[in-house]
Amino acid sequence: MTDITVERDRRIATRRISYLLGSVFLLLIAVALGVSVGETSMPIHLVGQTLANKIFGASYVLDPIDAGIIWNYRLTRAIVAACCGASLAVSGVVLQAMLRNALADPYILGISAGASTGAVTVLILGIGGGLLSLSIGAFAGSLVAFLLVIMLARAAGGGVGIQATGLIILAGIAGSQLFNALTSFIITRSANAEQVRGVMFWLMGNLSGVRWNDVLLAVPIAIVGVCICIWHRRALDAFTFGADSAASLGVPVRRVQAIVIGTAAMMTAVMVSIVGSIGFVGIVIPHAARFLVGPRHARLLPVSALMGAVFLVFADIGSRVLVPNQVLPIGVITALVGAPGFALILIRGRRIR
Amino acid sequence: MILTAEKLGWKVRGISILQNVSLDVEEGETLGLIGPNGSGKSTLLKLLAGILTPSSGHVSLQGQAMARMSRRQVGQTLAFVEQQSDTFERLTVRDAVELGRTAWLSALRPWSAEDDRIVREALRQVDMSGMEKRSWHTLSGGEKQRVHIARALAQQPKILLLDEPTNHLDIQHQLSILGLVKALPITSVIALHDLNQAMTCDRIGVMSKGTLLAVGTPTEILTLDLIRDVFGVTARFIRDTDGSHLIRFQSIQ
Ligand SMILES: Nc1ncnc2c1ncn2[C@@H]1O[C@H](COP(=O)(O)OP(=O)(O)OP(=O)(O)O)[C@@H](O)[C@H]1O
Ligand SMILES: [Mg+2]
Repeated sequence: MTDITVERDRRIATRRISYLLGSVFLLLIAVALGVSVGETSMPIHLVGQTLANKIFGASYVLDPIDAGIIWNYRLTRAIVAACCGASLAVSGVVLQAMLRNALADPYILGISAGASTGAVTVLILGIGGGLLSLSIGAFAGSLVAFLLVIMLARAAGGGVGIQATGLIILAGIAGSQLFNALTSFIITRSANAEQVRGVMFWLMGNLSGVRWNDVLLAVPIAIVGVCICIWHRRALDAFTFGADSAASLGVPVRRVQAIVIGTAAMMTAVMVSIVGSIGFVGIVIPHAARFLVGPRHARLLPVSALMGAVFLVFADIGSRVLVPNQVLPIGVITALVGAPGFALILIRGRRIR
Repeated sequence: MILTAEKLGWKVRGISILQNVSLDVEEGETLGLIGPNGSGKSTLLKLLAGILTPSSGHVSLQGQAMARMSRRQVGQTLAFVEQQSDTFERLTVRDAVELGRTAWLSALRPWSAEDDRIVREALRQVDMSGMEKRSWHTLSGGEKQRVHIARALAQQPKILLLDEPTNHLDIQHQLSILGLVKALPITSVIALHDLNQAMTCDRIGVMSKGTLLAVGTPTEILTLDLIRDVFGVTARFIRDTDGSHLIRFQSIQ
C-alpha cells in the first residue's frame, strides 16, 4: 500500500519536473527568437555568444554594436514581454474566477486604465521619481479603478447571475473610458510633456523603452505574483460555485479575495507602469488554456502563464517586423489576435447557457 | 449540543429578516425546517453555516463559538448545500465533487488515494457513479442537485445543512436522498416544502415571518391549526394501511 503511494508520488513528482523543464525550454526558445528576429536579424549563434560573454564571461570576439543591441535592447525587451504576458494572463484567470465572469480581464475591467492614470499622475506630480514610485502610483490607480467599477456595478443592481455578468463589463467599459480620458487629459495639460511618455504608450502599450532596470522589476513581480496565485489554486477552484459555496467548503473568502485580487492588480499595475496597457492577453490566453487543460487552477494557472509569456514575446516580434521600418504598438497586435478570440468566447459562452 | 443558535437576528439595509431565533440541534438527529416562501429558512441555514454573519446573537459548533473558529475548521465540521448554485465553468462531475475535499487539503497534506476513495464513495451514495466524466453543463437539474449533495458528503462533515435538497429530484431520488441523509450517522438540518416528507424527520422546526414558531416532534408540531395558521391552507390527516398518517391539503375558500 505505502509502496504504491510512494511510487505514485514519485511518478507525480517526475511528471511535474518534466513539465517545468519543458516550460522553461519553451520560454527560452521564445525569448531567443524574440532576441534574434527584428529589423536587423541577429543569427542565433551570435545571440548565444553574446549571452555566453555576458553571463559566463566567455570571450568571443563580437561587434560591440551587435552585442549591445542584443544585450541591452532585444533581450530586455523579450524578457519583459514574457513577464508581462504571464502576469496579464494570470491576472485574467484570477479575475474570472473571483468575479465568476468569463469576460473579466484587467484591461476590460479598467484596471489597466486606472494603472496608467496612476502612473501618469505620479510622473506629472513628480512624487518620488524613479521606477518604484511609478509602480506604486500605478498600483494605487489600479485599485481605485477596480473598486470604482465594482461599486458602479453594485449600484446598478449587480449581485450575481447573468445580468450582473453584463453589468460589471459595462461598468468596466465606463471605468476604462474615464481613466483613459483622465490619462490623456493629464498628459496633454502638463507643461513638461516630454517627461511623460506619449498618450499612445499608455493606451496601447510599447516595449521600446525597456532596459535592464525594468527587467529587474518585472521578473520578480511576475514570478512572485504567479506563485501567489498558484499557491491559492484550491481556493480559486472552490469559487467555482460562488463565494458562498467557497465559504462553506472552508475557504476564508474575504482574505483570499483580497490577496488574489490584490496580486492581480499589483502584477497588472507594475507591467502597465513599464510597458503601458496591453489588452486582450488576460482574456484570450486563459480561455485558450482552459480549452487545452480544463478549468482546474492547478493546471490552468501555470499553463496560462506560459502561454501568455510566449504569446506576448511573439506579439512583440510581430510589432517590430509586420510593418517595415515601423514599430507598431504591441496593443495593436494583441488586439488583432485578441478581438476575434474574444468574439469566439462570446459565441461559445452563449452555447453554454 | 452539536449545533446551537442563540437569539439569532439578521438585518439587511435596516430591514429585519430574521428575529430572535434560538435552536438546539442534537447530535445525530435529522431536523426538518418548514415554512412558507420567504419565511427565512434559507437565511437561517446560511447563518448556521456561517455564510451570513448574524446582526445579533451567535452560533456555536460543538460548544465553540463559530465566530472564533477558522473557516477551515468550520468547513471540516459542517457542509452546506445551497438552494441553487451553478457555474459557467466546464468542469466534470468528478471535479465538482473533488471540491468537497478543499478544507482537508493543504501544502502539507496534498491529494491522496484516500481522497480518491472518499470522492468515489460520495458519488456512489448519490447514485452518480457512472457519470464521473460528464461535463457539468450537460447534467439535468436533478443530477446537478445530486452532485452538490455528493460534494457535501465528500466534505465528511459532522453536520449537514441542506436547503431544499429534494427539489428537482424525481420521486425515487427524493426518497433515496432523504433516506441516505437519515441513515448517515451525522446531524442534519434540512429545509423542506413537502410536509409529508417533513413528517419523517426526527424533529421539525416551523419558520414564519422570520421567526422560529415552534420546534418539536412531527406529531407535536404538525397540527391542523398550525398548518392553517402558518401555511394558510386547511389540512386533513388520512390514515394509511400501515398505520402512518398522510396529510391532504385544500385551499381555504
Ligand atoms: N439579501 C437580501 N436582501 C433583501 N432581502 C432579502 C435578502 N435575503 C433574503 N431576503 C428576504 O428575506 C426573506 C426570507 O428569505 P429566505 O430566502 O430565507 O426565505 P425561504 O424561507 O428560504 O423561502 P423559500 O421557501 O422561497 O426558499 C425573503 O422575504 C427575502 O426576500
Ligand atoms: Mg429558501
